[in-house]
Amino acid sequence: MTYKVSEEGNISTVFLNGEIDMDVVDKAKELIMPLIEAKKEVHINLKDVQYMDSSGISVLIESHQKALEVGTKVILKEISKSVLKVIMMAKLEQILNLD
Amino acid sequence: MNETNKSENKISEKREFIVNSASLKEVRSFSREVFEKIKIDQDLKDELVLAIAEAAQNIVKHAYKDIETNNDKMEIKISLGKNDELEIGFFDKGKPVDGAKVRHRNIDDVKPGGLGTFFIQQIMDAVVFREGEKPWINHLILTKQL
Repeated sequence: MTYKVSEEGNISTVFLNGEIDMDVVDKAKELIMPLIEAKKEVHINLKDVQYMDSSGISVLIESHQKALEVGTKVILKEISKSVLKVIMMAKLEQILNLD
Repeated sequence: MNETNKSENKISEKREFIVNSASLKEVRSFSREVFEKIKIDQDLKDELVLAIAEAAQNIVKHAYKDIETNNDKMEIKISLGKNDELEIGFFDKGKPVDGAKVRHRNIDDVKPGGLGTFFIQQIMDAVVFREGEKPWINHLILTKQL
């Protein structure tokens, strides 16, 4: 997994790239969680994520819940077809903020 | 070849992987390689790869929880019979798994974790845990009629 972060005002956009599995979730969490804790609105761009497993979905849930806790939000942007399928399999399309 | 068969020949391929999270990428590559030989649509291939990777992840996370692996290996065997029944076997030498206790979390109780087993059950027709034959401790069998 590789990533890029861009900042615009209070919005941080995290562009993730590659395959997100158990082996890289800690890296993803270390990237996303501090932004949420800093009360940024975090946009996670998933256009270039070709594969995500249950570990990756757990990071999305944890991020979403942490954002609610601190009073900000996480929005998933340009979700790739394969990631959307896994989100739907987990019945999270009504829970997470999808754009 | 019968038109309903998903493969020209019976398929039976196996590979060993070191039990750690870094192997999961190799597990997916192996699975994709095998499914390239089977005539099923890409969406189903992707689902099957996910089910296999989740089962391998469960071995790393649960069967080997608190165990220093010392490069222990797990084996994955993908077989497709003439009747188009896909069987995927997982063999490991971790802690014995009691299949009756393997449950996914309540899907409506949204929290991180506990989804891997749910995905496997959504994708596959059957999930069976057996005691492994020596040298293996656990033998998990996932099946699906293609």
